[in-house]
Amino acid sequence: MKRLRRYRLARAAALVAWLLVLSGSALAATSYIVTNDDTGFPFITGVSFYTIDPGGVLTLKGQVQTGGYGIGGGYFGANRIAVLNSGQQECVFASEAATGDIVGIRVHTLNLGGRASGSPTDTGTSNGIGLVAGDHYLYASFTDSNTIGTFKVEPGCGLSFLSDVSVTGLAGGTVNAMAIRGNMMIATYTDGSLESFDIAGGIPASHGDRQHSTAAVSSQGATYPNSIDITSDGHYAIFGDTSTSMVVEVSDISSGQLTPTLVHTSTAAISSSNVMLSPDETVVYVINTQGAAVTALFFDKSTGGLSKGCTSPPIRGLSANWSYLAGLALVNKTGNGGGVYVAEFGSTSGIALVNLSVSGKKCALQEVTHSPFVDPNTTGLLSIGAFPPRAF
Amino acid sequence: MCSLSKWLPAVILGGFSVASLAAQDCPARPVSGTVVQDPYSISSKNGVLSANLTLAHSVDQAGYTHYCYKYNAGAQVAESPTLRVNPGDTLNLGIINRINPSGAGNAKMNMASNSTITCADSGEATINSTNVHFHGLNIPPVCHQDDVIDTLIQPGSPGFTYNVTIPATEPPGLYWYHPHVHGYTEFQVNGGAAGAIIVGGIEKYRPEVAGLTERVFVIRQQYLVPWVPGPYLLTLNYQGAPFVGGVPIIQMKPNEKQFWRVANATIEDFLELQFQVNGSASPLQLIALDGYPLAQTRTQTTILIPPAGRAEFIVQAPASGANAVFFTNAYSTGPTGNADLSQAIANIQLTSGSAAPAMPRAAPSAGGLKSSDLAEQAATAQRKLFFSEEFGGTNGPAQFYITVDGQKQNVFDPDEKPVITTHVGAVEDWTIENRALETHAFHIHQIHFQVLEIDGKPAADKDLRDTIEVPYWSGKGPYHSVKLRMDFRDPTIAGTFLFHCHILLHEDAGMMHKILVEP
Repeated sequence: MKRLRRYRLARAAALVAWLLVLSGSALAATSYIVTNDDTGFPFITGVSFYTIDPGGVLTLKGQVQTGGYGIGGGYFGANRIAVLNSGQQECVFASEAATGDIVGIRVHTLNLGGRASGSPTDTGTSNGIGLVAGDHYLYASFTDSNTIGTFKVEPGCGLSFLSDVSVTGLAGGTVNAMAIRGNMMIATYTDGSLESFDIAGGIPASHGDRQHSTAAVSSQGATYPNSIDITSDGHYAIFGDTSTSMVVEVSDISSGQLTPTLVHTSTAAISSSNVMLSPDETVVYVINTQGAAVTALFFDKSTGGLSKGCTSPPIRGLSANWSYLAGLALVNKTGNGGGVYVAEFGSTSGIALVNLSVSGKKCALQEVTHSPFVDPNTTGLLSIGAFPPRAF
Repeated sequence: MCSLSKWLPAVILGGFSVASLAAQDCPARPVSGTVVQDPYSISSKNGVLSANLTLAHSVDQAGYTHYCYKYNAGAQVAESPTLRVNPGDTLNLGIINRINPSGAGNAKMNMASNSTITCADSGEATINSTNVHFHGLNIPPVCHQDDVIDTLIQPGSPGFTYNVTIPATEPPGLYWYHPHVHGYTEFQVNGGAAGAIIVGGIEKYRPEVAGLTERVFVIRQQYLVPWVPGPYLLTLNYQGAPFVGGVPIIQMKPNEKQFWRVANATIEDFLELQFQVNGSASPLQLIALDGYPLAQTRTQTTILIPPAGRAEFIVQAPASGANAVFFTNAYSTGPTGNADLSQAIANIQLTSGSAAPAMPRAAPSAGGLKSSDLAEQAATAQRKLFFSEEFGGTNGPAQFYITVDGQKQNVFDPDEKPVITTHVGAVEDWTIENRALETHAFHIHQIHFQVLEIDGKPAADKDLRDTIEVPYWSGKGPYHSVKLRMDFRDPTIAGTFLFHCHILLHEDAGMMHKILVEP
């Protein structure tokens, strides 16, 4: 009997192991939309993973409790989620602003892989901690201490803190969003200034090109760049501006430094704080954080030019459920992206799905009928990401 | 560029520091759940009202910072007395600033500084500086009268006297006074620095109020720390009206009609007032808005008063045995606005006697009211202005603008040139549009305006006001708007003065500009 029981146990264990492997393989192939969650006060944090079903329907796979605290709000451009798909590692990193740290989550297992804080003075308790991930380093913008921390990405989605650098805008502005491409990092500040850094050595070193954006100057500070994206070839940086209209700026960075931005404006929407390029770089998605709408601008990768595209009808639920639109993630990883998922910040936070259709030089953006997908784990959703992320 | 995130922390910390150092200089305020008394009242005699008010501050046991106008009334010190004047009177109001200027309380506004202060004391505006705005009065915007741009009264200085001639044509009704130092108005009003002004004679235009028991109610709002979201406390004549626990008590005789004069001296609360009897809203006879008698008395069950607005109305108590409550409904100010919650402001206690004073007896009509012919005038100019906001994140940095259409949007700078120039004699139609996701309260100094249209349609009641709500944009459809007829015909108001949102955070942050009315 003992032998039989042992055999049965061994067979059961093997079965469990096989199922785990199968499950792991399935997870590795799964696409997710991930959210950086803060509950209502006291803003307990977690990261929710949503599978993407036919029709773009999001289904909550589960939430990884990260054990810290957020602040339930903050800057629109500072992305609190960074997704890494380097070939060696598949990780989701999330910041916890009140706790002051960053957690790494292994996508294969949906387990915590590590946690790290910056220096004792690195804080982002007023407006959050923005993240951007490269293959080897993760960068964190601490919006209170005005520092950018550098963390080494360790095996298993762990992190180890290397050092931080103090930064500030030309008029004392606070660091907000960051983006990286190759050896270049670009940061925006809340006073309307921009700065680029060399990250070839890991730690950001300023290129000495700190400057006010063109729109910030012409508006006397009434408009200022918030979020950033960079073309795959590193030729252009695109900035989504906080404004009372829609303002998107483009800087030619092919010289390795920022150059004065060219400004694209439209009164079709309000406050274009968040932007993202489509995978084929023909479209710039613009989230009008105060305008309840999503805009697609056509982008000419060869010239950096922006031209009129289309703006969605108002996204459902403003005022009743949410106050601001915030972060975004692409629907598709190829072509024009097919539209975006958009975070809705409010008492009933959710994720809207807005599809894009393009015909020649015309396009249409439309929220799907089954949108939004309620995120039950947060009342202050600002940042979302997609796994796997866009290829560049 | 300036943003709230840069200067608010300094002010908040400054306020805390000052508060912690301050002596208990303000009079004790009434205990919640007790009978509400009208504010102490001082009236003009032989055409003159002279009074000195000392602005002080202290911190109560709950941690609330009080800013108080103290008036020595013999054996007692009265807080924020009601100033009663008549058209043609002279008001000599001395203001002595005794805010404790210690520690970080000297924090100065770094978003804008006025280098051209030309009235009263020199120096920069700080959290301890003050001045006075006579809200709604049609008086000159000049030094020693109703100038708030160039007047600073600094702590410790000998004081400053306002010498105001109430125009003979001033509409009779309820006005109010409060500090108006750019960047710090909210802090002092939040602490309670506000009082009523009554220009006498309303019974000459609305005889139905003659002889009624008169009540003066100033509703204030106090946050523990202004600018920091959190629970607030409404007060009725300084008596707290908590969401839980005893609320103020208003005494009335059964079936008695009283004339209530209610000022919304909150920093940002839109009051949607009701007099509920056994749970149902009872009819109210609306007599005047913003100190201006209505063309005809109107019966309503709900009266909306935006921040800084006033309403005067007749209330009838129920019969014995009924339950009555003075109530404000919840009011939505939009996705990015503040939550204005429903609550009881006072419970009505039916009693055999009340000691409140009575309105004067009916008197012969004083003739036509100033601006009563405004609707018949031809507009000399059309302008469009709009409110807008931008947020770099949910916690800011935020900027608040009021912009003349076609001009560059800027936050207010005390040194700015007027964004509108007109002239005495002009009658202008202004369309005020709200492009923000938050309701705003438009106010212009020195004049009343007439409400012509709401959302492009003729207003049902073409009232004269000095403050009006412009509802938030919902994210779709046209912006909400009001079309207002501005009366610049009176040469008394020639000069440079202000228009702005009367949500005081917005005003302090620069949702304000200057207008010049040339003689």
